[in-house]
Amino acid sequence: MKIRTTALLLLGFILFCSHDMYLKLDTYFLQPHQASTIDLYNGTFEKSDNVIDRDRMIDASIVGNGKRTRMTDDQWTEKDSSITILHFTTGDPGTWVAGLSTRSRDFEMSAEDFNSYLEHDGVLDMLQYRKDNNTINDPANERYSKHVKAIYQVGDQTSDDWATELGYPIEFVPLSNPYEKHTGDQLQVKLLFGGQPLTNQLVYADYRPTAHGHSHGDEEHSHSHDHDDAHSHDEDEPHTHTSGQQLRTDDRGVVSVDLSADGIWYLRTIHLVHNTDEGLTHESNWATLTFEVTHDHSDDHAHHDHSEGGIPSYVYWIGSLLLVGALFFYFSKNQG
Amino acid sequence: MNRRSLLIATSLTLLLPMTLMAHGVSASDQATLDNGGLLSYIYVGAKHMLTGYDHLLFLAGVIFYLKGFRDIVRFITVFTLGHCITLIGATYLGIKADEHLIDAVIALSVLYKGFENLGGFENLGIKSPNLLYMVFIFGLIHGFGLSTRLQSFDMGMDQFLAKILCFNIGVELGQILALIPIVFLITQWQSKKSYQAFYKAANTYLIIAGVALFIYQMYGYFSIH
Repeated sequence: MKIRTTALLLLGFILFCSHDMYLKLDTYFLQPHQASTIDLYNGTFEKSDNVIDRDRMIDASIVGNGKRTRMTDDQWTEKDSSITILHFTTGDPGTWVAGLSTRSRDFEMSAEDFNSYLEHDGVLDMLQYRKDNNTINDPANERYSKHVKAIYQVGDQTSDDWATELGYPIEFVPLSNPYEKHTGDQLQVKLLFGGQPLTNQLVYADYRPTAHGHSHGDEEHSHSHDHDDAHSHDEDEPHTHTSGQQLRTDDRGVVSVDLSADGIWYLRTIHLVHNTDEGLTHESNWATLTFEVTHDHSDDHAHHDHSEGGIPSYVYWIGSLLLVGALFFYFSKNQG
Repeated sequence: MNRRSLLIATSLTLLLPMTLMAHGVSASDQATLDNGGLLSYIYVGAKHMLTGYDHLLFLAGVIFYLKGFRDIVRFITVFTLGHCITLIGATYLGIKADEHLIDAVIALSVLYKGFENLGGFENLGIKSPNLLYMVFIFGLIHGFGLSTRLQSFDMGMDQFLAKILCFNIGVELGQILALIPIVFLITQWQSKKSYQAFYKAANTYLIIAGVALFIYQMYGYFSIH
């Protein structure tokens, strides 16, 4: 009986601590008015362990072209009993946001399991609090809910929809358009809790290389197609949710993420506080944000894109025409 | 030059860059290639040619030098042959160069053409190299630049050769589209009294643009090395 109970507790712990939630796309660059899908992962960024029932979803929305559209239950399907898939059709060009907010659930844990979860999921402030206040041996009953977003680009033209606050209990909101950033840039992201900036909160940022990815870190600049990146997600590695950059929000609730490589980037945080409601000890709100970063194909090259920063092409052309015109009048005058 | 011809010429000159600015090559081209199949490679190839002003400036320089439609077809064919060889060959074999260095050499080709058109070699007492050979060599160089560009995208391995060929087809379509107004403008102006001033102005500009692009690319190269 004891073995069975321990096994169940262990299974519960594994299931619980592994379940980060992400909205993921195969590619975050979509064409206008294209049938598309977004995968809802519940597990790790690489692997989803289970599907999410529709009645757990408080809100599933897509925001683009200045309009928020609620997703309906019939837009969801399931795959392999592990991935929940949202089917939708993209709209006009712009930088779109998809979001999902789930209902809260309660989960009981032994002190040992709770401490282990805090350590492996990077909720280090609470772990330290327990150590400092001699509560390390206290079991926990935690109420948790998850609120996830993805920002994707439709067509060539960017828009301001990426800045939309979805009004979730906790959510990441970038301070600039991720699709006007490129590998090597820094992206500032604000973390809101109850609509207000959340300060001094641990945030983890990491990425998964895309097929055409390459790093812009200290290594030599190259356009390698090698997938065997040093930042691998080896299945044999010890399981952790805290890889990548460990950041802390400043007094404006902002973190600065170094977009060091091409890939699909994800930010995650778990805001865990004490809760004195009956039967509870803690309450957590989980947030993630995903988006894709590519290197700038027009960077330092003769083929500049007028829509992606730098000197627009037309500036060169107008300047050239003015120069040719000036030379023409000069030579005409001298000829005459 | 009568007013009507001047109006046509001015309009074409002004419309050309307006067309070009609408087709910037961007990072989202990768998404186009990811989602659009082989046709998207034609589109991106054409777009690259139309927005790659270094290629267009060189072509304009070649057109200036030529007399008659037959001459134009002959030289453009040689240029096309040259860039097809390196575009297809280098991409297929995975051979590429530093983007800045190859673009710097392409900038020199622009400078070369302006210099030659203005009789630079004659002024130095040197015989001009055979232009047909030079256009072929510069075609190879421009093709290598296009190949380096194409290889900066993730093409995957499916239909690899077909994708290269489609990109090449796109480049040729873009080249034809760009050549139409260039050839029209130059040939229409040739019979006018003001052509000499236009010829000198345009080729002086090619020299200035070639030098500026060369400095720009070398600065870019040394900035990251």
